[in-house]
Amino acid sequence: MNFFFFHLMPWPNLAPPREFLAEHEAAWVTLSNAEYDPVAGQDLYRRYLDELVYAEELGFDGLVVNEHHQNAYGLMPSPNLVAAALTQRTERAKICVLGNAVTLYNPPTRVAEEMAMLDVMSGGRLIAGLVVGGGPEYYSYNVNPTEARPRFKEALDLVVKAWTTPGPFAYDGDYYHLPYVNPWPRPLQQPHPPVWIPGLGSPSTIEFCADKGFGYMGVAYYAPPETFGRQAQAYHAAVAAAGRPYDPELLGWLTTIYVAETDDRAVEEAAPHMAYFQANLAAGFVGAGKVWMPPGYIDPPALVQFLDDLRAQAEGPRPSDPREAMAARSPLVGSPETVRQRLADYVKRHKIGTVLGLLQFGSLPADLTARSMRLYAEEVIPYVRKEADEHFAREGLMRP
Amino acid sequence: MTVDVAARLDRSTLDVGGAEVTVARGGEGDPLLYLHGLCGDVHSSFPGTDWTPFLGRLGANFDVVAPALPGYNGSAGPAGFDDVEDYVFHLADLLEVLDIESVCLVGHSFGAWMAAELALRRPDLVEAMVLLSPLGVRVRGLAVPPFFGAVAPRGIGGFAEARQLLFADPEGEAARRALPDDMGREHQLLWFGGLQGAARLGWAAPHFQSPVLTRRLRRIDVPTLVVRGGADRLVPDQMAEVWVRSMPEAQLHEVPGVGHCLPAERPEVAADVEGFLGEFHGGLP
Repeated sequence: MNFFFFHLMPWPNLAPPREFLAEHEAAWVTLSNAEYDPVAGQDLYRRYLDELVYAEELGFDGLVVNEHHQNAYGLMPSPNLVAAALTQRTERAKICVLGNAVTLYNPPTRVAEEMAMLDVMSGGRLIAGLVVGGGPEYYSYNVNPTEARPRFKEALDLVVKAWTTPGPFAYDGDYYHLPYVNPWPRPLQQPHPPVWIPGLGSPSTIEFCADKGFGYMGVAYYAPPETFGRQAQAYHAAVAAAGRPYDPELLGWLTTIYVAETDDRAVEEAAPHMAYFQANLAAGFVGAGKVWMPPGYIDPPALVQFLDDLRAQAEGPRPSDPREAMAARSPLVGSPETVRQRLADYVKRHKIGTVLGLLQFGSLPADLTARSMRLYAEEVIPYVRKEADEHFAREGLMRP
Repeated sequence: MTVDVAARLDRSTLDVGGAEVTVARGGEGDPLLYLHGLCGDVHSSFPGTDWTPFLGRLGANFDVVAPALPGYNGSAGPAGFDDVEDYVFHLADLLEVLDIESVCLVGHSFGAWMAAELALRRPDLVEAMVLLSPLGVRVRGLAVPPFFGAVAPRGIGGFAEARQLLFADPEGEAARRALPDDMGREHQLLWFGGLQGAARLGWAAPHFQSPVLTRRLRRIDVPTLVVRGGADRLVPDQMAEVWVRSMPEAQLHEVPGVGHCLPAERPEVAADVEGFLGEFHGGLP
C-alpha cells in the first residue's frame, strides 16, 4: 500500500468564493496574472516546497507534483523544476511528476530528456506521469484540441521509445518526425520509470492504462466518491480483459484529506478552504461558470454528459448538516478514527494500492496543513497500511 | 412571394469517396451550392429542420444543395482529412456525385471561407459566388474576438456570450432560436459536433485566418459579392475590405444593423444574393 503526498501549489489569495465569482468567470485562462503577487510568491514556493519535504520526514512513500498553465489553480507550469529541487532536498521518497502535458511540448523528446534527468538526479526515484493536459490549457497554449487524443498517444509512444530504444533512431509518426532521437541522459530505472496517467474516468484512458501496464490515477476531487468507485470497477475489468495480473499499486485515488482531533473540528477547519478550492480555483472547468472545454477535447456526447453532471451537482440538493455535506463530497475529512475507517474500507473495497492525498487544498494555511499531515501520517497511514496490505495478501494481490 | 419550400425539401445521405454526407436539397431552378456557417444556419444549431427562411427564399429560384460540412449533422469528413485541400476536393467530389457541372456558390462564415477555397482551386465549377460574413482572411495585428473562447459552454447560464458575439440582437428571436439558454440534448450535440468539425481546420493559429488564402486571393477571378453585416462583432470590417481589395472581380455590400449570423438575422438578404447572381447567371424570373 502506497501513501503519496500530492501538492497542487495553489494561489491562496483570491477573494472569497462569493465575491470572487461575482467578478470573474473562471480562475483559468482569463483570470489576470496581475492578481499574482511575486513578492508573496517567494514565501509561497518556499512554504510549499517545505511541505513536500516534510511529507518525506513523516514517512509518506512519495511526493507528487503536477503541471498547470495560466491559472490560479496550480503554480507549477513546470513541475520538473519543483521535482528537480526535490531531488536535492529529499533522500528516499518517490518523486511523482503527474504529469507532463506531452502534447504541449514540441518535440516531446524534451519530456523524455527532462524526466531522464530527474530519474538520474534522484537515484531512480521518478514516477513519470504523462498527461493529455487540461481542456483550459488547449486554449492557453492554442494547441488544436481536436488532435489532443491521437497526438497524446503518439507523444507518449515517442517518449517511451526514447527511453528504451538505443539511439540514435528515427521516429516517423503522424505528428512528430524526428530523424535523430538520441536523448542524453537515459533514465536510471530500467526499462524505464513507471508511467502513471491521471484521468477523470474516460473509458478509453482506463483501457489504455490497463493495456500498457501503466498506472491509472483517478481524479476524484470534484465528484462524490461513488464516481471514483465506477472508475475503479472499470479499471479492474480492463486489467482482466488485458490479461495482466492485478497490481493494486497501479490503481490510484486522488482525493482531498484533512485530519483534526475531532470530526466537528476537522469539518469546521477544512470547510472554508475546501470551498475556496472547489468554488474559486476549480471555476473554469467545473462549477456553474464558464467551462473551458474546447471542441473535440472530448466527444460531443461526453461533453453533453459532463455538462449534465455539472448542472445536477450545482442544482441538486445539499445536505444541510455540514458534516454530511462534507462527507458526501470529501469523505476523508474527520478525526483520525473516522478517516482511517473510511479509507481502509474504501481501499479494500476498490483494491486501491495508491492513495494520493491532497492534504493542502485551496487556501488551507501552513499551520493547519502541517498538523493535518502529521495526524494523517501518524494516526491513519500505519493502520490503513497494515490492514490493506494484509487484505491484499489474503486476496493474493500483493506484488511478488 | 411565399414559397412552401419545406414541402419540397429532400434530405438525404450520400456517400462521397467513402465519407457520409448529409445533404438538404430543395427549390427549383439551376443548382446553387450553399455552404453553411458556424451558427444559426442550416446544419448548424437549428435542430429538427434542414430548412431556413433564408434558404426558402433562395429555393424560389434555385435548386439549393446544402451539404452539412464535415462534423455537422452526421457528415463525416474524408478519412484522415486535416487541411483545406482535402476539404475542397471533398466538396468537388460531392458535386461530381450529384452530377452537377457548375454552380452558383453561396457560403456563410466558415462556409464562405470554404467557398473561396473551392473557387480558388476549381474556378471551372463556380459561375458566380456570394460570400456572407466570410471568415478566412488574415489581417496581421487586427484584434479579433476569440470565437472558441466566447462559445465555450457554461455549467449554468446558457449561451449569452456566444449570442452577443454572433448576433446584432443577442436577445432577438433568431439568436434565441439558434442558441437558447435551455438548449436540449439533440441541439447540444449538433452545436458541439459542428464546433468540433470547424475547430479541425479553424483552430490553427490564428483562428479562422488563413495567410495562404489571403496571399492567393488575387487569383480568384470568379464574380463575387461579399456581404457584410454592419454589426458583425466577430469579423472586423477591415477583413471585408481585404476580400474586395484583393479579388479582381469582387464587390462589397454592407447590410446595416445585422450581426455575423446574417442569414438567420436577416433572411431578406436572399434578395441581394439573387440580384447579384442573376446578373451573372441567366434564367432568373
